[in-house]
Order: sequence, then structure tokens, then C-alpha cells
Amino acid sequence: MNLVSYLIPALFLGVFCIALLKKVKLYDCFTAGAKDAVPLILSIFPYLAAMLILSELFSASGLSAMITDFLTPCFKFCGIPPEISPLVLVKPFSGSGSTALLSELLSVYGADSYIGRCAAVAYGSSETVFYISAVYFAGSGKKLVRPIAITLLANFLGVVAGCLLCRVM
Amino acid sequence: MNAVFTAVFLAACCLFLFTHPDGFLPAMLAGAEKAAVLALSLLSVYCVWLGFFRALEGSGLSAKLSRRVRPLAGKLFRSDDGAALELACGNLSANLLGLPGAPTPLGIRATKAFLDKGNGYAADMLFVLNATSLQLLPTTAIALRLTAGSASPADIFLPTLLSTLLSTLCGAVLVWLTAKRRARRGHGMGKRGLLLQRGHPQ
Repeated sequence: MNLVSYLIPALFLGVFCIALLKKVKLYDCFTAGAKDAVPLILSIFPYLAAMLILSELFSASGLSAMITDFLTPCFKFCGIPPEISPLVLVKPFSGSGSTALLSELLSVYGADSYIGRCAAVAYGSSETVFYISAVYFAGSGKKLVRPIAITLLANFLGVVAGCLLCRVM
Repeated sequence: MNAVFTAVFLAACCLFLFTHPDGFLPAMLAGAEKAAVLALSLLSVYCVWLGFFRALEGSGLSAKLSRRVRPLAGKLFRSDDGAALELACGNLSANLLGLPGAPTPLGIRATKAFLDKGNGYAADMLFVLNATSLQLLPTTAIALRLTAGSASPADIFLPTLLSTLLSTLCGAVLVWLTAKRRARRGHGMGKRGLLLQRGHPQ
């Protein structure tokens, strides 16, 4: 943990020193970077909005709870404890939602319990698939079903493996 | 994407209508508000990282790094577009180091650069690598376990690393396999590139 907190400032310092040796103007770099950020955000915002409205509807309508109830037995069959299946299902849609679920699971079951460790591994080994797809492919008009299906399947396999590994490690 | 959006939207609408119709509009507004808040926080994150990337480009370090890994990256993404590969390599390194917020702006630009050349395979590969989590250290999970009073918060490091390696590998292999079959059937990247140029709707 400590090492990681040193990493970022050290990285910045190292890069800035080398950039200064190459006579790069740092102030101009940062103003140009900030200028680049605005069109980037504008280009992804419509897709971000549509995706987040949909995922809010998905969870508030009770649709996600229905799907969770439906999939929990299947998950259990694959070795994923029923307690963490909501976390596994929320993670692709919402980073903040899954973070909240993880801290809840950790406080309810204990951070060092099997459930707690499984939840932490499931959280750490999967990603917010729909957010990344909305942002990366913003406005490209590309068909996304195949890459999203591949990613969801791969992440699911990762979680199954993680739950198995938590039993032995 | 339109089909998925419509299906989920209609299903949610029906459910709201039969269970609690009052919740419908607030839910949509809450989603839009989340998007607005997220966009603003991303704007601040991108300001920092895009400034840093400018300095990194100026220092010549990113070009040096990408020149070294370029043969490998070229094979992985089936591309010889130097600028796009440099962005993609930067994205993958930022992911591995777990720099919060840094991979996304690079990933967006790399995807756009790949798709502009009609290389849907590279865009898919980059997306799958990103969305199967490439992080070496699960910092958020470790920090949350620390606050929850774990005796050894970092002992999930190895299981997480192994399972995320497995998911990333599976994803990459699946992209490679499905793309190969498509190419043999004659529905390869060329056609997708053409569709893109014609500006097909989503």
C-alpha cells in the first residue's frame, strides 16, 4: 500500500524532470491538457447519460432484483456464494454501487471471512463493463453485443476462479 | 446497443407501471444527475492526466516505451498504426499501474484511432483488455478491507491477480477466436470498416 502511494508522485516527478531536460514547458502542457479534456468529456457525455439513466431504471424498477433472484441459484451452482451474487451482478453497471455493496458485505460478514474475501476478490477482478463500453465506443456506431458478451463471460469466469482460489489460499 | 437499450427500457417501464409508477421519473432524473456529476468529476481527472500525458509525450518517454513494445502490441492489436499503438500501450501501462482515471482518456483516443482506420478487431481487443480488469494491485478492495478491520488486508492479492489474469486471458482469446471465424466466413473487418465509413446508426 505504502509503495503505491509513493508511486504516483515519484512518477510525476520523474517524468517532469526528463521533460524539463528536453525543454518542455510544463505550464503549457497543463493548459493544453485541460483544453483537451473539455471536448473529450463532451464527446462521451451523451453516452454516459443514456447508460446511467438506463442502469438507474434497471435497478429502481426491481428488474435487477428479479434477475439477481433468478441467477443466484445458477451462481451457487458455479461456486459463487449467494451472499455476493448481488455484487457480481452490480459491478458491470456501477462502480460506486459495487463499492458500497463491498463495504457492506465486509462489515456484515467480516473482512477475513470466506464471504468477505470472496467479495473483495470478485470486486477486484471484474470491471464496470457497461461504463467502459459506453465511454470507449462513444459515437462510433459499432456493434457492441459481441465484445460486451465476451467481457461479461470472461469476468464471470474470473469471479468463479476467484471464489475457488479463496477456498484454498 | 439500440436493441439492448429498448428492451431494458421497456421492461423497466412495464415494471414501474405495475409496481410503483411514482418512481419512474425520479429514477431517470437520478440517472441523468449521476451522469452530470460523473462528467464533471471526470473532467477534473482528465485535466490532470491529459496535462501529465502532454509532459510525458514531450519527454519522449512514451515514444521510447511504445517503440520497445511495438512489435508485440502490433501483433496483439493487428495494427501497424504507430500513433494508435502508442496510445493503446499507454492505456495498458496505466491500467497495470492502477493510476486512477488515467487509462480512460488514452483508451478513448486509442479506440477512436483504431476505428478511424476501420480496425474493429483492435478496438474490441482494447475494450476487452480494459473491461476485464488489468490492475496488478487491487488497491480499492485492499483499502476497504483495511477499514473493515482485516488482519491482513493484502492477502487477497494473489487470488485477485490470478482470477483477473484468467478473465483477461479468456477475454483476449475469445476476441481472437470469434474474429478468426468471422474472417473465414467473409464477414471480416473490411466489411465492418465499410459500414463504419457509411456512418451506420448504432
